[in-house]
Amino acid sequence: MSTTEGNKNTNSTESWGGFDDNPIQGGGSAVIDMENMDDTSGSSFEDMGEMHQRMKEEEEVSEEAAATEEGDDGEFLGMKGVKGQLGRQVADEVWQAGKRQASKAFNLYANIDILRPYFDVEPIQVRNRLLESLIPIRIINFPQKIAGELYGPLMLVFTLVAILLHGMKTSGTVIREGTLMGTAIGTCFGYWIGVSSFIYFLAYLCNAQITMLQMLSLLGYGLFGHCVVLFVTYSVHFHSLFYILWLVIGGLSTLRMVAALISRTVGHTPRLILCGTVAALHMLFLLYLHFAYHKIVEGILDTLEGPNVPPIQRVARDIPEVSVALVNATVKMVGITLQSH
Amino acid sequence: MFRQQYGNYNYPHQGGHSTQGVMQPQQPYTGQIYQPTFTPTTPQSVYGSSFEDEPPLLEELGINFDHIWQKTLTVLHPLKIADGSIMNETDLAGPMVFCLAFGATLLLAGKIQFGYVYGISAIGCLGMYCLLNLMSMTGVSFGCVGSVLGYCLLPMIILSSFGVLFSLQGMVGIIITAMIIGWCSFSASKIFISALAMDGQQLLVAYPCALLYGVFALISVF
Repeated sequence: MSTTEGNKNTNSTESWGGFDDNPIQGGGSAVIDMENMDDTSGSSFEDMGEMHQRMKEEEEVSEEAAATEEGDDGEFLGMKGVKGQLGRQVADEVWQAGKRQASKAFNLYANIDILRPYFDVEPIQVRNRLLESLIPIRIINFPQKIAGELYGPLMLVFTLVAILLHGMKTSGTVIREGTLMGTAIGTCFGYWIGVSSFIYFLAYLCNAQITMLQMLSLLGYGLFGHCVVLFVTYSVHFHSLFYILWLVIGGLSTLRMVAALISRTVGHTPRLILCGTVAALHMLFLLYLHFAYHKIVEGILDTLEGPNVPPIQRVARDIPEVSVALVNATVKMVGITLQSH
Repeated sequence: MFRQQYGNYNYPHQGGHSTQGVMQPQQPYTGQIYQPTFTPTTPQSVYGSSFEDEPPLLEELGINFDHIWQKTLTVLHPLKIADGSIMNETDLAGPMVFCLAFGATLLLAGKIQFGYVYGISAIGCLGMYCLLNLMSMTGVSFGCVGSVLGYCLLPMIILSSFGVLFSLQGMVGIIITAMIIGWCSFSASKIFISALAMDGQQLLVAYPCALLYGVFALISVF
């Protein structure tokens, strides 16, 4: 066993050019060293392909070297020939090493399989977590359990994108620079990832015991409340209903997140900073989503209902009767103010 | 094993699907119909050198009408149990036709949105490909995902042709749209579940499909 392993190791170091590689690999690459050792398992298709390719190329290079060496013996151009051959070989080695380095780095960082365990969920777990995101837990002396999962939050972000798109289409929003889809995706993903990173940074400063994955998961599930409120208020256009839902549902999901963060932070000031920021950003985002994309619907409804429109009212479309009424009202107002002066 | 074989032959497909305007029919389909039942090293020996040994043209192009019809029926009957093995060959002829038909019905309604249809289907396929690779044990190829999602677009064509004659913005339109989205995502998730052996996760696969088809429905309705 040990002799075969030893043979395998020497074969691998010979085929990979073991000692030649170390100066090119550079420092701080302990992870890459481990991957080098793991490559002998031959489980990765690309690495096997690479190994075969290298062995073929080395055979070709050695054949070429043997052929040219035989031909160049004792000639005047022999020296230059040998140097040219050496130069080409060195360049070839450098190119191979660089290619191997790049493919190793790519396999390490662009490996989507790192995220695989966070998508391993059952439908019933997702449903329970969605409902629990609206139920605050009052245990703050002991760190609360936060599920480290990315499927639910990702689907909630996409749902929010879909609801925003639906709202923008029904209200006839016109985006001048960019597209509706791009705006919706940018807003939702930007909030989820940006605010999670910012709160994670604050948590690091405030010495809170929370990982980036847990923060993403917590904030993502908090968007469930946002989805519910926006879905209801885009269908039923009552202003006061929105405020009530904003306070109740937005408040419940905020309290849930705040309680989870308090349970993982020590000290009054850090707790205050962290939870204040989370609460403010969470509630203000819902307010922003409602008013940025929904008020235009209200403008149209108000103008279509009554001709007596005060001049300062946002009107999305130019309806002839309305604009004439507006002009008359404005002229009257101006006349009145001039008269009063 | 399944995944490695697809890794060998997948590159022309990715080119063919993402550059929608350039049709290269002969490139992606050469010998495709023989995966994975035949070993990859012997396509030349199968073709042989004499004229009589050459397979018929449709077989060589990889267009198998029987399988196309089977897959269409699987989509159209939501309660029919899907056979997982029919998805082994990636066939993009059917989905391409369905995308064109969808764009044509939108054109009849006065909406010239071929670009949106292709863009959204490309991005949607990419998203589903990443998600299914993360969620399943075996992994899936991009061609397979594109093929399934393309076939399940068929009920959406019914919705958009309905939208040519009647407006879909009333309550009736909303109900019909919801039903069609449910039908499309149910079929797609049924085929994915049977092909990838992911029991008990049908709802988790159906929901992203529903979001994707919801965007298509949004294009049809508004």
